[in-house]
Amino acid sequence: MIGVSSARFQQRRFISSLSNASARVEDGDLCTGDTVLRRNAFLAYLFYTNKDDGLMSDAADHARLKQDRCLLFLFNYFHQIFLLLVLDWGPSMSSRQEKANPIRQSMSIRQERANPIHCPDLVRRLEELLCHPGNELCADCGSPDPKWVSLNVGVFICIKCSGVHRSLGVHISKVLSVKLDEWTAEQVEALGEMGGNTILNAKYEAFLSGCSKPRPDSPFEERSDFIRRKYELLQFSHCIERNASSLNTCLSSAASSSGSEKKSYEKQHTSNRLQVLGHAFRNSWRRKDEQKSTSKKGSTIGMVEFVGLIKVNVVRGTNLAVRDVVTSDPYVILTLGHQSMKTRVIKNNLNPVWNERIMLSIPDPVPPLKLQVYDKDTFSTDDRMGEAEIDIQPLVSAAKAYENSTISEPMHLGKWLANEDNTLIKDSQISVVEGKVRQEITLRLQNVERGELEIELECVPLIQ
Amino acid sequence: MGLVFTKLFSSLFGNKEARILVLGLDNAGKTTILYRMQMGEVVSTIPTIGFNVETVQYNNIKFQVWDLGGQTSIRPYWRCYFPNTQAIIYVVDSSDTDRLVIAKEEFHAILEEEELKGAVVLVYANKQDLPGALDDATITEALELHKIKNRQWAIYKTSAIKGEGIFEGLDWLSNTLKAGGG
Repeated sequence: MIGVSSARFQQRRFISSLSNASARVEDGDLCTGDTVLRRNAFLAYLFYTNKDDGLMSDAADHARLKQDRCLLFLFNYFHQIFLLLVLDWGPSMSSRQEKANPIRQSMSIRQERANPIHCPDLVRRLEELLCHPGNELCADCGSPDPKWVSLNVGVFICIKCSGVHRSLGVHISKVLSVKLDEWTAEQVEALGEMGGNTILNAKYEAFLSGCSKPRPDSPFEERSDFIRRKYELLQFSHCIERNASSLNTCLSSAASSSGSEKKSYEKQHTSNRLQVLGHAFRNSWRRKDEQKSTSKKGSTIGMVEFVGLIKVNVVRGTNLAVRDVVTSDPYVILTLGHQSMKTRVIKNNLNPVWNERIMLSIPDPVPPLKLQVYDKDTFSTDDRMGEAEIDIQPLVSAAKAYENSTISEPMHLGKWLANEDNTLIKDSQISVVEGKVRQEITLRLQNVERGELEIELECVPLIQ
Repeated sequence: MGLVFTKLFSSLFGNKEARILVLGLDNAGKTTILYRMQMGEVVSTIPTIGFNVETVQYNNIKFQVWDLGGQTSIRPYWRCYFPNTQAIIYVVDSSDTDRLVIAKEEFHAILEEEELKGAVVLVYANKQDLPGALDDATITEALELHKIKNRQWAIYKTSAIKGEGIFEGLDWLSNTLKAGGG
């Protein structure tokens, strides 16, 4: 039910931003990334309305908006219930199918290059490690469901903490993504042997007393400071004592063990101490640098706000509008939030087949995916050939719910019914195929006399 | 009609615009370099899920700089961004010696792309501030840069954190692009 209410909240946010709806994109500065795209970010949020300029102004439109909101609400509502039902028996189903059909699954995974991990056994092993008690929370800040790993330390961490780990350098922390990186069997094996967050935190945070850990919502500086002290300076670690007396105690206790052991122990201490000195020195100037930068601009740049990737396959256009003498040179611009990408131009074709795969980042809250078809002109402004907007929230929710599923058989998760009030030409289905959540959409272009567009969406959620 | 003249005028006398892709393995320092160029500051970054794009004005050239995520499963999507690219900035973590071979393979795969045939290549041997970072000569060898044919290229030692080498590289890039390369 939380999902339903948050979807409604986002809807309200977008509708309240209708009054801010700004100018349309001019030709020439399309896809330049920055200002133009940001200007575009809060264009009206509509669900398949047919209004000319895409803005809500009169009572009829309000009624339609209400109706569409109702439809979306119902869709989300049944969709969530459906997900809950399916999720309950999903795992048992997946294990049954894995047993029944292991070859099919391994083949399907190998087919696609974009798949991060090629061997299903490795996927399963990594998933097991992720579910291991202690690994469900980020080792550093406690964020739920961490999806990143410091390979040489052996801890599961969230994306924000992974940013700090990466800044330490690979000699201290090598970061890999569970979802986005390719893993070798040795790496997975080594990770398993290191014991996970609980065991490693017992080592790296043995002497934590008096120092509080960052929380999931802690600012970058606090997070960064803690992680540096924990892994770079090893300040909370049991094997490094900061004063000479405890170092002596450590060494004398080691003396009781065998000679060779003692030798290696001492060696470790010396090298660690040298490392600590080196890092502390490097740290001093680096911190200064960082403080300077944060005072100018406090926020974290990068992709904190993105909750995943959407892969869009712009398949084809059908019966598009004529904008030159008898034909057009169509291309499509896709906009999500302030990111924008365009397809190539197909000359003299009213039924172009692009089959072009484009990737965009999904911000939070999830904005609608905006599609605009243009006719390329060399000496004048490109002509508009219609547009459409797609609410991708249901797809994102479905992908989040299904990201860990290993169901190999295609399964339908929900359906968006085509009717007179929306622009769908046929029912649009969200389905999970080989663990990938996809949606195929064929829609009628708006604000144009004719034209249809066929696209396929795939969502890769990345909350942490 | 006014727009036509504006376009024509700017293409003849005005600022040149160039589309640049910043590529490299994950955690090479691409995003830090992008924002170092754009704001002249060190920002705290997290792994790039997708891409960042910013406009950087330098030496009378407006660079449209695309910083693409480097994770293994994102790399196949780099090709979506290849058309109309004048230059590639390839960033290498000079201290990550274990992955130099992978960095080399990805680099040469990019160079073979038909759509990037005309693009000039600038390599940043980044993270020179870290212990054990290899110098530009070693990186040149590791990436087999001498194998590059029919293309202008250069390599610079950089430290995005300290701000060293980045703008020297951009100087080379703007001069090369002005001279008609790419």
